Amino acid sequence: MVPYPDLMGFWAVCISWSALFLTTVSIYLYIDSRKNRKQDTQATTKLRFVKDFVFVWVLLGLLGLYIVSINRGSSILFASGNLVVEALLIVYTVKNRPPKALGTDEGDSYSPQLK
Amino acid sequence: MICLSVILGFYNEYKAEKTVQALRQSVSLKAVVTRDGKPSEIDAKLVVPGDVVTVYVGDVVSADMRIVLCRELQINESVLTGESFPVEKTLDALNLQQPTPQQLTNYLFMGTVVQHGSGRGVVISTGGHTEFGSISTSLAESRPETEFQRGVRKYGTMLITLTLALVIGIFVLNTVVGHPIIGSLLFSLAVAVGLVPELMPAIVTISLSQGARVMAKKKVVVKRLVSIEDFGNMDALCTDKTGTLTSGKIVLKDYSSLSEVRESRILQYALLCNSAVTGEKITGNLMDVAIWEYAIANSVQEEIKSYAFVDEVPFDYQRRMMSTVVRKDDDLTLITKGAPESVLSRCKYAELTEKIEAIDSVQKLTDAKLTEYSGAGYRSLAIAYRKIDAKTSYSAEDESNLTLLGFLIFTDSPKEDAQQAVAELTRMGVDVKILTGDNELVAVKICEELKIPVKRVIRGSDLTQMSSNEIRTAVEETTIFARITPEQKLDIIKSLRANGHVVGFMGDGVNDAPALHEADVGISVDSAVDVSKGAADIVLLEKDLSVLADGIEEGRKIFGNTIKYILMGTSSNFGNMFSAAAASIFLPFLPMLPMQILFMNLLYDVSNMTLPSDNVDEEYTKWPRRWDIGFVRKFTLFFGPFSSLYDFLTYGIMLFIFGASASVFQSGWFVESFWTEVLVIFVIRTRRIPFIRSRPGKWLTVLTLSAVAFGTILPFTILGRFLGFTSLPVNYWALLILMVATYLLLVDAGKVFFYKICKF
Repeated sequence: MVPYPDLMGFWAVCISWSALFLTTVSIYLYIDSRKNRKQDTQATTKLRFVKDFVFVWVLLGLLGLYIVSINRGSSILFASGNLVVEALLIVYTVKNRPPKALGTDEGDSYSPQLK
Repeated sequence: MICLSVILGFYNEYKAEKTVQALRQSVSLKAVVTRDGKPSEIDAKLVVPGDVVTVYVGDVVSADMRIVLCRELQINESVLTGESFPVEKTLDALNLQQPTPQQLTNYLFMGTVVQHGSGRGVVISTGGHTEFGSISTSLAESRPETEFQRGVRKYGTMLITLTLALVIGIFVLNTVVGHPIIGSLLFSLAVAVGLVPELMPAIVTISLSQGARVMAKKKVVVKRLVSIEDFGNMDALCTDKTGTLTSGKIVLKDYSSLSEVRESRILQYALLCNSAVTGEKITGNLMDVAIWEYAIANSVQEEIKSYAFVDEVPFDYQRRMMSTVVRKDDDLTLITKGAPESVLSRCKYAELTEKIEAIDSVQKLTDAKLTEYSGAGYRSLAIAYRKIDAKTSYSAEDESNLTLLGFLIFTDSPKEDAQQAVAELTRMGVDVKILTGDNELVAVKICEELKIPVKRVIRGSDLTQMSSNEIRTAVEETTIFARITPEQKLDIIKSLRANGHVVGFMGDGVNDAPALHEADVGISVDSAVDVSKGAADIVLLEKDLSVLADGIEEGRKIFGNTIKYILMGTSSNFGNMFSAAAASIFLPFLPMLPMQILFMNLLYDVSNMTLPSDNVDEEYTKWPRRWDIGFVRKFTLFFGPFSSLYDFLTYGIMLFIFGASASVFQSGWFVESFWTEVLVIFVIRTRRIPFIRSRPGKWLTVLTLSAVAFGTILPFTILGRFLGFTSLPVNYWALLILMVATYLLLVDAGKVFFYKICKF
């Protein structure tokens, strides 16, 4: 039995809410950028929903891991899960940078914005 | 922090203002006034309308006056009109509707300089009522809000809205769930303080001061600190021509015979027929001085030593030429130099390569040459000669049956480094436009020499026919604005700003002052008049224009570091405070005491103190950036929840794994919150892979890691106990390290996604 059992439900809602909020914001920004890209015919950057959203899938996976491990009060599950996710994120981060990452990711081309 | 910001800002602006004041005091004007029939020299400030003022060569005109006596007066009006070549004045009445200063040839204008001759005028207006003064008066109007100030204001509005909503929400919800009112109020206020980036003024001021110091080493005085950021963000630079891109000085560009040969006698004869006074310093007619300077620079002045001076027929405005008679061996030669049309009318022959032709047979050739010179924006003088018999004196009547030898071509040439400076500005995404009172031919020629592509040329007279909407469209596609008035310069700057550009203006004359005042960044040069320096934000003390690019880069670095602080602070504070608010509702105790929140906030700010010295990635300085509140909002909405998520995770660990009491919970969350808030700096400060492809500044790294170390040991210290912290379970530290590492990696992965879809 975990301590503070009466708070578990509220806590699970809070952490899920923040993860879902982040997912929603990501989807909103993604759709918004696609809309802007349609107006800007010069932009040729391809965004792949599955690949580009890797961090969201990882996030949702982490959410599951965190809720399960904490619900069970298991530090071991928590720690090992984190280590696996960290390894995945490192691979993702290194693979998703341009070879000479000058920060000029494909979508970062300069376009003067007039107000 | 606020006091520190104010003191630093005041100190820097005071020092810069002092420098300009010292420059201003170095100039004190006098005027020769005839009162009650007696001429006397008085302080120019004491001249009143109705006074009769006499002017001589070298005088700065002390008031606007109608000329009543004119002895070959030539006035340098470049301070008012931007035109380098002196203007000839007359007594003649003019019949003009709404004349511009350039057209009023029977007027003398305050601030202009007598280049040749002398004259007398009746003062019509003085001080603020003069052309010069009306420009100065317009400078008294308050400065328009710059792009940087507008951005800060919008950011402040966004922050106040966000803070008010969150604070009111927290207070109401806490009260509703039954928490004590005073405790809820204090907690809400602490959250509000936590949300406000109170160090921002200090960060901005320190950044700007450091930038100003770097600029000062390059002999650039930054008079208004905030202008440095706009300097960096500037995407359109309007510049006056004379004295900024050009040296503002007439130089002999070349000389040529009719057969395109650089006949050395042309230069020798120009030296022999010359009114300039040579000594330690060469003085006199600007064109004669230019001939001597050219000869000295090319070491050809010795070539005339074999000639002996015999007589001179001085220049006058009817003939528009001068002549000298010189002797070489036993031969006497009369050399004439003057306005081409005047000299040509006295020529009977023209010298081509080794042959003499009748002048009529080469008329097409001479016409073509003169058209070519004026079309290229050059001024020219003709040189002619004849053999002459010895006699006691010579007169203008001897200037006949001359043989045309060739032409001298004069120009106000670009500064040596101007081409490189313009190319550098273009590379940095700054569009260069020329705004000049001079004619379009000269401006086009300068653009050619500086390799500025000319998209379109508009004259002042064309601008007067345009509506404000047409001007707004025209300014986008025009490179040269010629023959324009100070008011039109102002309109162009306003139109560019209205189109959303961050506009810089570089000028040195009085006519440039209103535009300097209106622009986001007003830049003046060393040789500028005081009014222009006074209106400018930045004064280049040396003629080197390459400092412009340095200044822009410095501005972009400062803007980059300011934006870093805003993005990091807003997003992590928003996330932390949001999770604090949520926890305060469902927890039986406060997730962190108000004093603990404030202390964490202070510690976080201290760790950010060295942010102004942080390295800025090279790509960030390549293009002008812009305050984009929409981007800040998106950034906050995206990165804030990362912080909240890990705060909630900490709550879970503390409550459900460690069964923490209030003080253990608060200590655990303090450490986690502080670690994530501070360490995320290294991830967010760059778009590259942190540390591997973008190294943070040395001092930022040292101070940030020191702050993390201090925050870590704080719960074990007396101060920690005083703040209500307690020791944490050993296992918690292991989980914390893993959790924070995952958080930083997740934010980095999120960063890749975010910058792929959000431009800034």
